Amino acid sequence: MSTESAVMPGAVDPPAPQANDRRRRVRKDRAGYLFLLPWFIGMLFTVVPFFASLYLAFTDYNLLNAPKWIGLENFADMFRDPVLLKSLQVTFVYTFVSVPLSLAAALGVAMILNRGIRGLPWYRAVFYLPSLLGASVAVVLLWRYVFGFDGIVNAFLGWFGVDAISWTSDPDYALTTLIILHIWTFGSPMVIFLAGLRQIPTMYYEAAAVDGASKWRRFRSITLPLLSPIIFFNLIQSLIASFQTFTQGFVMNNGGGGPANSTLFYNLYLYQQGFGQFNMGYASAMAWTLLVIIAVFTAITFLSAKYWVNYDN
Amino acid sequence: MTTERPPASGSEFNRRNLIKLSGLGLAAVPGLAACGRGFGGGGDDESGDGVTLNMVWWGDAKRAEKTQAALDIFTEANPDITIKVEYQDSGPYQDKLATRFAANDAPDLMAMRMDSLREYADRGALLDLNEYGDDIDLSGLSENAANLAEVDGSVFGVPAGLNAVGFVIRKDFAEQYGVAVPDGNTWSWDDLAAFAQAISDASGQEVYGTGYDVQTLQNLVVWVRQQGEDLFTEDGKLGVSAATMQAWFELADGMRQSGAYPPAGFFEEIGGSPDQSYIAQGKLASQIIPTNNFLGYNEACGGNLVLLRIPGEAQAVRRGQSVDCPHLWSVAAASKHPKEAVKLLDFLTNDPEASLATGTTRGVPASTAVAEEIKDSLEPDDLVATEYLMGLQGEDLPRSYTYPPGGSAIADFLDVIAVEVEFGRQSAADGAAQFISEATAAIEG
Repeated sequence: MSTESAVMPGAVDPPAPQANDRRRRVRKDRAGYLFLLPWFIGMLFTVVPFFASLYLAFTDYNLLNAPKWIGLENFADMFRDPVLLKSLQVTFVYTFVSVPLSLAAALGVAMILNRGIRGLPWYRAVFYLPSLLGASVAVVLLWRYVFGFDGIVNAFLGWFGVDAISWTSDPDYALTTLIILHIWTFGSPMVIFLAGLRQIPTMYYEAAAVDGASKWRRFRSITLPLLSPIIFFNLIQSLIASFQTFTQGFVMNNGGGGPANSTLFYNLYLYQQGFGQFNMGYASAMAWTLLVIIAVFTAITFLSAKYWVNYDN
Repeated sequence: MTTERPPASGSEFNRRNLIKLSGLGLAAVPGLAACGRGFGGGGDDESGDGVTLNMVWWGDAKRAEKTQAALDIFTEANPDITIKVEYQDSGPYQDKLATRFAANDAPDLMAMRMDSLREYADRGALLDLNEYGDDIDLSGLSENAANLAEVDGSVFGVPAGLNAVGFVIRKDFAEQYGVAVPDGNTWSWDDLAAFAQAISDASGQEVYGTGYDVQTLQNLVVWVRQQGEDLFTEDGKLGVSAATMQAWFELADGMRQSGAYPPAGFFEEIGGSPDQSYIAQGKLASQIIPTNNFLGYNEACGGNLVLLRIPGEAQAVRRGQSVDCPHLWSVAAASKHPKEAVKLLDFLTNDPEASLATGTTRGVPASTAVAEEIKDSLEPDDLVATEYLMGLQGEDLPRSYTYPPGGSAIADFLDVIAVEVEFGRQSAADGAAQFISEATAAIEG
């Protein structure tokens, strides 16, 4: 985001003959396509399975025999599948609790870091680190020990006379533990918030301070409105990622979504159906349903944007 | 990004900037890409007239070493056959195997889980070994062993080894707390409860007397058989009654209430290795294990384990224990070299040299003659497990039946319900009823 982008080459160069101009443009385009090439090649590996799964969603396919067309039966079955409803519930609770909380945590930390403290790059890196690691197997394993029956959290609670809690194996707590893990990985929205906060001209705050606005008032009337596009962006990103959560549930309970399906995320159940029970047609139908669910929630967020997202100055 | 920035010319938030930002967001999603590993690629011939077999299985590096030693003997005697081996953990193995069949890239010889056998066999994916009677000799298998992979007169695999479940007790704890180790051949479930209670009480629940997996099918099967029922019947139906399931849940629940068995939530997913187990950590005095793991567990427990039968065998309506196998070896129906694959399978099953090399990593050799022959060269702990199993082999045990298709989903239901009952969120009676209805639906659906 430098000032360079503002300098248009055409505007600076002296006017050139047209043929010359076109050749240069072709050459420039070619470079662009060259850079796009890896994406095009990669896309082939995405597009083919993408449409294959759309077809499979309408079939009974067990991986071993040829798919058999069954129309909408997979989708009808989904309404009758209590485990699927359970997995939807887990995913919704996870998303609607952890996304707002992690965004709030991200904004809070970003505001603290924005106060011109020394060693900012270092702090920024430290707070960013968990989000690079959060979905990794190693951290979830570490988390399991921290929240283990003999883990640090229980030891800490023990000082206050709280009985040990089975954070990962009690169905009442397992999802909470994963939500806390998610909130802890607030790093990437935090970095984006921080960049956004630094774009807000200080003169607004100065003017507000002269007018005697309180801290809270300045936050509400300056920071939030000017930051709203960033909040919007972070919200969309987090929502989509959260609906697709898989690793945390998979690793925390050895692929089972346990205890008692309390961490059976939608994607995890999809995977179990496809690869565990060989119901690949059903799994494909689930995948497309998730796409629709995500699209609906993204659309709602976009529609709501005009009421709270502030794009002009 | 540095702390310096161009002078802000007012707020610059617009859609273009947001698009740039999205690059950042994407970079922070490591996602699933890190999960993939393991086998791929075909098992086609690479050399001119030689044959390349692709053999896949699950297990660890130790098992790989022993398996390779056996395969080396085979390839030395059959220089025209090359064997390409791939192995990995059991979880990813299952997924990969299914995908390879879907991609028409099935391995020639593969480890097959008991509960997946019919999901593959019923769909015509596996070779019927009866059609290759000239290439493989299955006459050396005991009846128990031969029955394991038989479906309607066809044989879709050979046990890679035989095992059973057994109860292990830490005799050092028994001594320390002054409790006598019960007689494994005659003890009852009441004796187990009394033993466990005594240990828990004497240790002030530092050590719990017992803690076995309620949700592990192999454990449940013994209990069900002892009640005169079959979990899966001969015609592939669910054979267990709600009363038997309820009693199974209540058995552990009763001991949990009295403190003989650890409280709800005590068992966490801690990984499957013997070193990590609760009995090795000294938190449990007894548990159920597969017998082929006895060596590993005994090492992890400092050589303090004794191996007992499952309680109740002497008192029950009929014998509950059965001879099982850690996995089967199966050949793909689509294999391009079925004769060679079957030949390798014959070598692994019937040649004592092969079993000498592999040891009992997959259990006791399925061929009784081979098992007798290698017995003397086993390590003492393996000998204990082997004699335990051969003892069972020699007895008249009721036949057990293979998992019906859909059977692998039953383990998932049981896992969920067992936890619900453990935490008192569901009564044992309700849990039993739910298990019956869900399991029935899974098998029939």
